[in-house]
Amino acid sequence: MIELDLSLPLAAFPLQVSAKLDSDSVAVLGPSGSGKTSLLESIAGLRAARGRILLDGNRLLDSARGVRLPPERRRIGYVPQDACLFPHLDVRRNVRFGMRTGSREGTFDEAVAILDIEPLLGRFPATLSGGERQRAALARAIATEPRLLLLDEPLAAVDVELRERILPYLLRVRETLHIPFLYVTHNTGEAAAVTSEALLLRRGVVVRQGPTAQVIREMMTTSVDPDARFDNVVAGDLEASQAGDDRLFLRAGEARLVVPAPASGERGGRAVFAVAPEDILVSTRPPAHVSARNVFPGRVVTQDVSNAGAWVRVAADGLEWTVRLTRAAAQDLGLEPGTRAWLAIKTHAFRRLR
Amino acid sequence: MTSEDFSILLLTVEVATVATLLILPIGVAAGWLLSRGGGPLRTFAETVVSLPLVLPPTAVGILLLEALRKRGTIGGVLDSYGIELLFTRRAVVLATAVMAFPLLVRPARAAFEEVDRRLPAIARSLGCGPFEAFRRVTLPLAGRGILTGTLLAFSRALGEFGATIIVAGNIPGRTQTLALAIFQRHHIGQDASAMRLVWVTVVLAFGAVLASEIVSRKRSRVEGAVG
Amino acid sequence: MKRLVLAIFFATAIGAAASLTGEILVFGAASLSESLQDAGKQFEANRGGKVAFSFGSSGDLARQIEAGAPADVFFSADTARMDAVEKAGLVKKADRREFLSNALVVIVPSNSTAKLTSARDLESFPKIALADPAAKVPVGLYARQWLTDKGVWSAIEPRIIPTLDVRAALAAVAAGDIPVGIVYRTDAAVSKDVKVVYTATDGPPITYSVAPIASSKNAAEAAKFIAFLDSAAGRAIFEKRGFIIK
Repeated sequence: MIELDLSLPLAAFPLQVSAKLDSDSVAVLGPSGSGKTSLLESIAGLRAARGRILLDGNRLLDSARGVRLPPERRRIGYVPQDACLFPHLDVRRNVRFGMRTGSREGTFDEAVAILDIEPLLGRFPATLSGGERQRAALARAIATEPRLLLLDEPLAAVDVELRERILPYLLRVRETLHIPFLYVTHNTGEAAAVTSEALLLRRGVVVRQGPTAQVIREMMTTSVDPDARFDNVVAGDLEASQAGDDRLFLRAGEARLVVPAPASGERGGRAVFAVAPEDILVSTRPPAHVSARNVFPGRVVTQDVSNAGAWVRVAADGLEWTVRLTRAAAQDLGLEPGTRAWLAIKTHAFRRLR
Repeated sequence: MTSEDFSILLLTVEVATVATLLILPIGVAAGWLLSRGGGPLRTFAETVVSLPLVLPPTAVGILLLEALRKRGTIGGVLDSYGIELLFTRRAVVLATAVMAFPLLVRPARAAFEEVDRRLPAIARSLGCGPFEAFRRVTLPLAGRGILTGTLLAFSRALGEFGATIIVAGNIPGRTQTLALAIFQRHHIGQDASAMRLVWVTVVLAFGAVLASEIVSRKRSRVEGAVG
Repeated sequence: MKRLVLAIFFATAIGAAASLTGEILVFGAASLSESLQDAGKQFEANRGGKVAFSFGSSGDLARQIEAGAPADVFFSADTARMDAVEKAGLVKKADRREFLSNALVVIVPSNSTAKLTSARDLESFPKIALADPAAKVPVGLYARQWLTDKGVWSAIEPRIIPTLDVRAALAAVAAGDIPVGIVYRTDAAVSKDVKVVYTATDGPPITYSVAPIASSKNAAEAAKFIAFLDSAAGRAIFEKRGFIIK
């Protein structure tokens, strides 16, 4: 699908990426400054790299043959870190910006519907929240019917409210439009939720490539990226309590988890939550009389202990949870792969992404 | 105001307008180029562009005279086509344009510098060629600064004297702008008549600078790249 | 003998002392630049009195004197400017001397092939350099009178490029910036970059006028200088430069 063999001199080191990507959703992981943004910019044609870039057999760059397609001919949608909406145009004109006279009219409506930005169309970027800008930027990119999407750390902006993060919309884009994408992120939980393949970059070079879950596991043990967040991301259907109380459940896999109920009283539909690995309690015996509302047994899949701490993955009811423990705790509990363990997760440890 | 005063006013406004329109595309292009470059070449270019701002206008006038007279570099070429510039209204436009040029370029350059470079790049990724990206993104975002510079340049053009009198002379009806007429009338002792024209220039200048201030201050919904 | 030597010594000493305080300032028409400076040098050599000059258009100089400029002597290129200064009470009629005249000529750059057979021929030139008659520069007024008498002024007036004084007109033609100009014959002689193609023998009478300024603090020296100008030695200096003695 995508064939890369490019080099680009950067300030501290050269970017030298050689990779063949078959999956239609690829995560680009790695520490800050490892060249992830430069890689995306090179693929988009916004930076002049040397080498080869093939997209579905189309030559976007081939220095040996003197081929370098300018960005406007690559049909690649690029959503940069800060959304970069055009400040002098309202959202409607931003989204329509790349649409040519031959475009299908339905494309605009579709982009607006998928990204839920109908109420924002008449407003100007300066009046939008961080999450709204990201959605508008993504709509703008997909309105041009690109054959590849490049997303640069859409979650890096600090001012983006958790509930507005772009991940669920990205899921929708993938489900509805089937546009392949490269997704630069620090948040491995979300990378795992959205992508099937991952590249790990370090100082401009690919140090790992493979299925996302595997690459992430290796990252955890070698702590390659100090900014990485390893959230457990859970997507499922919401269900109101039948017992007459005001609890809210999330059905995901075979699990039924107690999650915080929104103030708006909404009790149905799909939702996406995240739980930090530090917020999960592990016990070798069924915990009793605890405040946590989510207590369930599972089986330890892997355990990685280092001086920095321990990562334990536990499978339960069709979901796999990543738990972070201190080294001492891991040693105390003796959580060998295959053993039974109980997990306790407080309701409020579930942070809603959408 | 007499009818003679009025025709002097018209001549002045006409010349200032033509001069401003003349330097507009060149000034915007120069502003854009300067905003892009770096290093010693850019510093040199900036300095040259700023010279008419700092040099005595008479010095600029002499430099223009040397270039435009028949034995000069440009004058010689023009003469072979039968084009005469010295002591004509065209010379007034030229002298005025040169003196007003830096007042347009500097704000234009600053305006282009303030446009986030990523924005035209995003436009490229959305399918625009380089000039289309400039036209639809960079230029509108720099628009306010360019307009401020244009109004400033126009204000300067209205009052230009030193360079003008040297290359165009003080010829009533042909090259005599308000500034030159004020000088002439004062010179021959007609101070009351000169004063009338002084008031006209005060009103004109006030209006032009006021417009420029309003434009540059107008609260805009477009301050930089928003993301 | 001894008494003569002493007398000369004291006269020189007193003269020297007087020169420290008695420098005179002469305002002179631009066309008199070289001749007045020659005269000044000779005057200083003979008597030791220093002379300083300010040259310009007689119109400007008259206005400056009326405004209070500290001139001691005014040498104007026409009587009308002197009349104005006299009317302002700054010059006494009895002190005026009018012994100098000049001629109007038409000049072109030395490498020009243009020819003139009459005043009307000026119409063939798109631009004509002339000191501004509106600013009351005498040469401009003389030229306007001449051309009006010839009936061609209204045709020629639109082609006039007015200059600040006669030397500015001369310089413009010398540089080739303007193809033709009207100046005094004495000005044309000063520049080797111009040549005379016509002399206005039938032009209006040209009369220069010189007088000491009544309010001057150096009245005695001023009077002496003017006397020198009007003497045989002084007149010879003007004649050498091409002026006409009346």
